[in-house]
Amino acid sequence: MSAPSRRLLVGVGNAGVTVLDLLSVEAPGMTGLIVVNNDLDSLNASIVREKIEVSEGDPGEGFRQIDERFGKAVTGASSVILCGGLGGETGSFLLPALAILAKSSGIPTIACVGMPFSFEGKHKRELAERALEKLQEICDAVVAVGNDQLSGGSPSTAVIGEAFLLSDRTLLSSLLGVTGMLSTTGPVKITRSDLHAVLGKQGAVTHYGFGKAEGPNRLHEALEKALRSPLLTLPGKGSALKESPMILLLLRGAKDVSFAEVQSVVGEIERIAGENCQIKVGVHPDGSPGSALEIHLLASSGGVVRKPAREHEAVVSRETEKSVRPIVGTSEAGAGGSTSVPSGHVAGEGTLFPVPTNVVSKTGKKSVATTKQTQGTLDLDTVQRGRFDKSEPTIVAGEDLDVPTFLRKGIKLNPPVRK
Amino acid sequence: MANEQIFVGLEIGTTKISVIVAEARADDQISILGVGETPSRGVRKGEIVDMETVTECVREAILDAEDKTNVEIGNVWVAITGSHLASFNNRGSLVLPEERQIEPEDLQAVEVNAKEVAIPTPNTFLHTILQAYHVDGNQNVIDPLMSEGALLEADFHIVHGIKTRIHNTLRCIEDLKLGIEDVVLSSLASAQVVLTQDQKNYGALMIDIGGGTTDYLVYVDGAIRHSGVLALGGDHITNDISVGLRLPIARAEILKIEEGSAADPAASEGGIISLKNDPRFLGCDIDRNSLDMIIHLRVREIFELIRRDIESSGEGMLDLIRGVMITGGCSKLKGIAQVAEDVFEIPVELTRARNVSGATQIFEDPQYSTAIGLTKYARIVTKNIAPESMIDRLTKGFGNLFSKRSR
Repeated sequence: MSAPSRRLLVGVGNAGVTVLDLLSVEAPGMTGLIVVNNDLDSLNASIVREKIEVSEGDPGEGFRQIDERFGKAVTGASSVILCGGLGGETGSFLLPALAILAKSSGIPTIACVGMPFSFEGKHKRELAERALEKLQEICDAVVAVGNDQLSGGSPSTAVIGEAFLLSDRTLLSSLLGVTGMLSTTGPVKITRSDLHAVLGKQGAVTHYGFGKAEGPNRLHEALEKALRSPLLTLPGKGSALKESPMILLLLRGAKDVSFAEVQSVVGEIERIAGENCQIKVGVHPDGSPGSALEIHLLASSGGVVRKPAREHEAVVSRETEKSVRPIVGTSEAGAGGSTSVPSGHVAGEGTLFPVPTNVVSKTGKKSVATTKQTQGTLDLDTVQRGRFDKSEPTIVAGEDLDVPTFLRKGIKLNPPVRK
Repeated sequence: MANEQIFVGLEIGTTKISVIVAEARADDQISILGVGETPSRGVRKGEIVDMETVTECVREAILDAEDKTNVEIGNVWVAITGSHLASFNNRGSLVLPEERQIEPEDLQAVEVNAKEVAIPTPNTFLHTILQAYHVDGNQNVIDPLMSEGALLEADFHIVHGIKTRIHNTLRCIEDLKLGIEDVVLSSLASAQVVLTQDQKNYGALMIDIGGGTTDYLVYVDGAIRHSGVLALGGDHITNDISVGLRLPIARAEILKIEEGSAADPAASEGGIISLKNDPRFLGCDIDRNSLDMIIHLRVREIFELIRRDIESSGEGMLDLIRGVMITGGCSKLKGIAQVAEDVFEIPVELTRARNVSGATQIFEDPQYSTAIGLTKYARIVTKNIAPESMIDRLTKGFGNLFSKRSR
């Protein structure tokens, strides 16, 4: 379909390096990892092969040094995913700067960033917020992991190191989630425009849930964990999914994810989020049959749909005007078959993601709900499951056993003859 | 402790709620004084979905039982089921500081030890049932208290389930100001009256097919080796008929009871079943082959799922089972034993509560196996807690199969 895509994962700053190290341990075969840092010790200790060193001191000066190297590294990448912690000098400056660089090369750019803990001080928080604002302006999608919210989920006695580890791990899993969503293929997939619709809003709060489980009840266990994620709860208001107009759901892992499993997971989320919510489903089977199943949930609340940004391009042209390339991202997304916006139109807008025209309306909520439907609302099951429609499904080895056996085995019956 | 005690068993089933009031006599016999019963509403697949309605139904059943037996019910033993219940076998081991005689505290310590396994956080332990003790590698020591050793090991069958769901059942009973003696896994209760000691020793599989769930339990060498709950039962058969033959649920239920057969449709007598008109239902002719096919496929699938689960629970487990005993309301379905025999390839028997006395029509109905079993379980447990239990255990060998649930 499309040329082999080269996805680049860039870890920036100490947090970014840690996360990519965790990733290399977890998925040893993964390629396209780069770490960027000004801390030589952390870089040397990292197991990621490709390293870009930034000289210590003024990050602005450092950035100018690596400008060219980074530009070379991203050349030809199908997408760039930046990852790191905001609040520190390195991440807060380098992340937006690298994002601008990548974007100006016409590469779809996504950022997964961690927001600082409140005990790290007001200065860090303000710095982080400014950087986040900038990232949301530049990137096509931004996932922000709120450490404070996250630590609400760990016991108050947790060792401080554990709190940071939890934050790194969550950042990692969100990174995997986003990468997985970008890699979904086949009939059920999440497109880039879906990602953009959910994560491309200025000033929005990201909600992220992750669960992993194996065994016969893997689906429910994983979903339960995902739904309980601290980032998916609004303080005092329950599940954040209730507020979300659109939810991205990724099932990752085992190859034998069944139709029934997908259906029941979507049904469960629909029950929580309400019927008006749009659920975009993607399946990324990369494990062996019977292996663990991961469920990633991404949503956002608040924020406004960003107008196609032009300002940052001015900033970009300052340095890398020559490297602005014709837009490659759109044609790929278009070929995927989800949205058919003429690429010329998109190119004119100056953004890489084909924003469906109806999204750019007054409220983000309403407009998103009118985009094309996917798997979420298949209405097959009500007939088949009969009286068990509203009850918890009995699922064994991925099969919904509430559906009559004869239907699942495809046995033809003689219909009753009415008198 | 008095030799004659009254025990009350309460089963909140998917189809009906039954309360059995029984008297334990000095000779270990259970004598049923009476049964209270109401049709169940608000229960799906063995689990409470509508608390208020269920509480009301339980109240009716309890009042019914009090009326019939003239016993004022204060404390009950409750059966619990549901697909959230899971089980596994685990061995606890305890290294003693020196070679010495094993003491009662050591037995407790080894049980705690066996429970130190990760179960999902929302879960809690329901039962820790002793299978066998081993002392210094000496297998199956019947009473380790008499022996000396340096290493005590014990195998347990551990049952756990989601805390909040178990609490739902408890809350509904507490709302009625009833005391709860203990919560017992449904299949464990049924097995107490359905299986004989011989069957438990030789190896038996008990299957209790109810309305919303199918509970099963494997006994080998007198100890529980495996247990499971499938959230499938008679309701599913009714639903299948309703979907397949386009009948209202109530009609499908009647058709299942009156005409249904689980036997292989190849041997079906065929022909047509004529359903008459009634004010809310337009009559129609049903093809018997189709009806039999629907039921047969479902029942066979239930047995096959159980077989697969047992096979995966341990190598050679199935070979250790010498007979299958089927009980529960759904076991009254025609031809069900034959299907089970085809699936398990071992002798199958339809069974019901035994070794009990009292009103015959009650304990001869397999629907009541669980509720009656609760009273028997109650008898065994309370007896073992009593001070004289030590002597009992010495004389009875496998008497002490139970240990109190940890809360």
